Amino acid sequence: MIRRTFLRGALGAAVASPFASLLRPGRATASGGGARRLIVFYFPDGVAGRSQDGDASLWEARASGGRISLSEQLAPLAGMEERCVFVNGLQMGSADEGSHPGGAKKLLTNVDGGGGTSIDQYLASTVGASAPFRHLYLGAQATVNGASGDKFISYPSPGVTIAPEDDPRAAFRRLFDGTIVAPGVPGADPATEAELRRQRSVLDVHLQDLAELRGRLGSLEQRKLDVHLESIRDVERRLARMEMPGATAPPPASCDAPSLGYDVADASRYDAAVFGRILDAQMDVMVQAMACGLTRVGVLQGGHHTSELIMSRIPGSEMHDPGFDMRSHQASHYGARHDRSNRLFVDYIAQRRWWVAKYRALLERLDAIPEADGTMLDYTLVLLCTEVSDGNTHSHHDMPFVLAGGAGGRIATGRVLETGGRRHGDLLASLAVAMGQSVGGWGYESHGPLTGLVTG
Amino acid sequence: MFSLLKSSAWGAVGLLAAVGFLACDDPGGPARPGPSAPPDGAALYASQCASCHGGQGQGRRGPALAPWHDGRDALVAAIADTMPFGAPADCVGACAEAVADYVLTLSGELQCDAPGLPPRRLRLLSRREHAAAIRDLLAPLGGTSGADPCTDGTTFRFVPPRAVSSVSVAGTFNGWDPAAWPMREEGGAWTLTRVVPEGRHEYKIVLDGSEWVADPSASATAPDGFGGVNSVLDVRCGGASGVRVPDVTSALPPETRPEAYPFDLAADVAYVSSVHVEEYLAAAKRVADAVGDAVVALAPGDEAAFVHVFGRRAFRRPLSEGERERYVSLARAEGDATRGRLAVLRAMLASPAFLYRSEVGAPDGVGYRLDAFEMASALSFSLLGTTPPDALLDAAERGELDDERGVRAAAEGLLDDARAEATMRAFARMWLGVEELGQLPRDTSPALRAKLREATERFVAGVMLGGRVDELFTSGALPADADVAAAHGASAPERAWDAVELPPERRAGVLGHASVQLRYAHSDQTSPIARGVFVRRRLLCQDFAPPPPEAGGVPEVDPTATTRERFRQHTESATCASCHQYIDDLGFGFEGFDHEGRPRREEHGLPIDTSGLLRDVEGFGTRTEAIFSGLPELGAALAASDAAPSCFATQWWRFAHGALEREEDECLVREVGRTFAAGDRSVRALLVEVLASERFRRRSAALEEVTP
Repeated sequence: MIRRTFLRGALGAAVASPFASLLRPGRATASGGGARRLIVFYFPDGVAGRSQDGDASLWEARASGGRISLSEQLAPLAGMEERCVFVNGLQMGSADEGSHPGGAKKLLTNVDGGGGTSIDQYLASTVGASAPFRHLYLGAQATVNGASGDKFISYPSPGVTIAPEDDPRAAFRRLFDGTIVAPGVPGADPATEAELRRQRSVLDVHLQDLAELRGRLGSLEQRKLDVHLESIRDVERRLARMEMPGATAPPPASCDAPSLGYDVADASRYDAAVFGRILDAQMDVMVQAMACGLTRVGVLQGGHHTSELIMSRIPGSEMHDPGFDMRSHQASHYGARHDRSNRLFVDYIAQRRWWVAKYRALLERLDAIPEADGTMLDYTLVLLCTEVSDGNTHSHHDMPFVLAGGAGGRIATGRVLETGGRRHGDLLASLAVAMGQSVGGWGYESHGPLTGLVTG
Repeated sequence: MFSLLKSSAWGAVGLLAAVGFLACDDPGGPARPGPSAPPDGAALYASQCASCHGGQGQGRRGPALAPWHDGRDALVAAIADTMPFGAPADCVGACAEAVADYVLTLSGELQCDAPGLPPRRLRLLSRREHAAAIRDLLAPLGGTSGADPCTDGTTFRFVPPRAVSSVSVAGTFNGWDPAAWPMREEGGAWTLTRVVPEGRHEYKIVLDGSEWVADPSASATAPDGFGGVNSVLDVRCGGASGVRVPDVTSALPPETRPEAYPFDLAADVAYVSSVHVEEYLAAAKRVADAVGDAVVALAPGDEAAFVHVFGRRAFRRPLSEGERERYVSLARAEGDATRGRLAVLRAMLASPAFLYRSEVGAPDGVGYRLDAFEMASALSFSLLGTTPPDALLDAAERGELDDERGVRAAAEGLLDDARAEATMRAFARMWLGVEELGQLPRDTSPALRAKLREATERFVAGVMLGGRVDELFTSGALPADADVAAAHGASAPERAWDAVELPPERRAGVLGHASVQLRYAHSDQTSPIARGVFVRRRLLCQDFAPPPPEAGGVPEVDPTATTRERFRQHTESATCASCHQYIDDLGFGFEGFDHEGRPRREEHGLPIDTSGLLRDVEGFGTRTEAIFSGLPELGAALAASDAAPSCFATQWWRFAHGALEREEDECLVREVGRTFAAGDRSVRALLVEVLASERFRRRSAALEEVTP
């Protein structure tokens, strides 16, 4: 019942503007409202950066004569340069430099060892708190083979990671077809109303159970229950919204009736050959959830660091070679030099390009959906990142970051930003500022948003 | 032959190398020394070194530093060049000297006259425990947990008699359309899972879009009207009688596991997100919907009696007055006996009181002591993987778990329960890391991999419930069915899962199992590194840092060299050798088995050398060695050591406590390991000892010291 009402609402929205996508107006430039959403797109095992023997980075984009020249790894972004900022020269500090897990822990927290909250979680609890789902963490083969917590990049609280959802079907069901909660037009169905009331009284009992347990505990275990309490409150708020007729805001962007074009059997979900299809499906889920106003902050994690993903088995890709197994992490150790006669190196470049092409596909999906006077991409920040810079040296300097989206006019795109060795926390802080939060920095040795990145 | 001997041949070089190779998290947070800070050796050591090397330099995850024998200059140089791990530039010059001077004052002795106590904990049920608890709470209703074809689907499986390019299923359920339901090939077999509606159906298998054949695995056939037969499929929803227990775990987020903690029980990092809350609620609702009218049979009497009886089972202790009132009024608000009880069931199964195992205790004057009900839970979840049976709760209520003797008796009793084997199997697959064999890119069919894992699980569980720890490293017996036996080069057993005798080169306990050999390898080659690190981490509890910056990757397959030759660089370069001297040789011991776990005598026509040196078996820097050739000798060296048995005890301690040991726990853990290694090494006794002794029961009064 919930689902049906929801679809009716969604279709209604679509009918109201049948030609929206054909009549796409110019870019939103100075609406000043800031970014409505954030998507972090993570891929594993770095890029071909400055090599061990000092070959210059093959990642960084350069600006010359008012034009941006893309590196070969960034080449798939050709034609979309105007929607991106290519951020060069950021560093994550020297602690655990040389380590994949050390980099993953710092990547979104900017605190050594993951001892801080990650920026996405902070934004989820501030900007994203009013959305039905505060945070969406989706993975593609990110939890393969019992991956340990040090493979994950999102930290809800210091030292605590969560695992991404690796199954697009489960993610889709939770968002769009939930038995507990779905955004919809309430008030239509007495059975639904009764069910909502029952849910609320159950949660009420749980809150009291929690309070009773909490009284017996020391402070650390209390923190555990405080997080639990917040999670219950989250679900409670969502129920409350559904109970109040008229309280559901219309979706900010065109919210098409969601569907999931995903045909991978669960038994083969960890097969490298279907990796791209899983990632595509997760991108769809993320974009649809955001288009329908279900969430404002999300992280997409492709694989995990030191990945055994056999990228040469991805069909249709440049590096596809059914007769040869080339893993992501294996290729990343291409040697001390950028040597084009070395198969590892050539494959590594091709793999990185594949990731960038996927990032581009995400940007295009967002750009295909009208929103206000532009597209969803104009109101979304999309960060491309990985946990080390050069995959062979594991350096934490000159980190590869690309930021895309107009942030509702708060980010001036279409340029290369040379940061001269500032801490990457400044970029993380910039994301927060672009979303309307005032933060003075994020994590260690961070002093505020990057100069000239955020306007207005 | 192998021999354990004290080596005197390598001194300073070995120790120096050892200093550099363990990475540990620095929980000290942002208090990093600035360049202008005056060097305070003790403070620096405490914040930067102690978490790995121990407060007394006794060694923890990192090597022991004290007593230091190689002179101050060597120590200063080692710190300046290699420490803190991953950021050696952070402590050089005066900093390195200050830390070295402090290290030279350390005794290296753990102060164990007043050993620390484990912390109090709330332990979120793992998905495994959560599902088992719900299953057993519904057991009075005669529940079954088998798959329901009406929700889980029906699986068609067909092995074609000849090479084909497509196989599909066509029948009454899809209008006999040969294009509608294509099957998928995996390891020679074509499969398809579809939800087929309840009722009787007829179908055929279609080869290459045109050849229609009957399904040989169908249970019945019917004439097809063309002189042949159709296969018959009879679908019945739900399956057996009684309440079908729905799937409660597949949508729950996986547990996060800290590095070096292999189990699904890491309590200190188990936090409940809103995704958890939703899925717990959804699972509880599914259970209530599945139970329906049968709920009244869960407990007799009125609402209050229901809350009392079912509540004690679900919360594993009597309910507080407040809880009783809340749940009774929840029931009464429904205004109907059945709906009221279902509301209670549903609320209890997602309540924090159900979801967390309490190891919180009550003050006992010195610290805290777990109460009898908490002990019942600890015993039941650790040994049976599930909620305590009524009889155990009754025993707790009668005071029989108030003393150590009673707890031991109860633990012994639980080990005779059939569910103990399932728990030991879960322990085995997580301890050895063979849980997700099916996700690995290998040619061995997923079905065979599942059986290889099962064989290893059964073997380890058998040793745990009735054997000595040495067998884990030396035994040549393996429970097997015909396929498992064939994969191990043994003859098939008379009955499936009877033990078979493995060929001599595999008589090395778990080391000789194809599951382990296949797990620690790549898709196209073996991995001496993964195998060596497996032995160090999982079997010896000796941890390693990830490879340093600029370590090379896996050398490419080279048709003119053996794997051992390709990895030679690791031990020829001094930098590489500082770690790889401990790793590679152990991996080379496995080289008689390829990446699928199949035996091999040569590689690219070249002979394979499986000899090696097990260096510092008793701990980095202990200068204890064993020479071996092949897995049986490596296994025998492990069995002869103290390190492997005490590591096994440590792993069980970690499983029982739901955490890695902290430094405060170290005296207790060492004591358990030492006693176990020195005794008769019966694993069953160890299982009881770790849980039943007062050391498990007493908890620290300091509440803030748990670090994730």
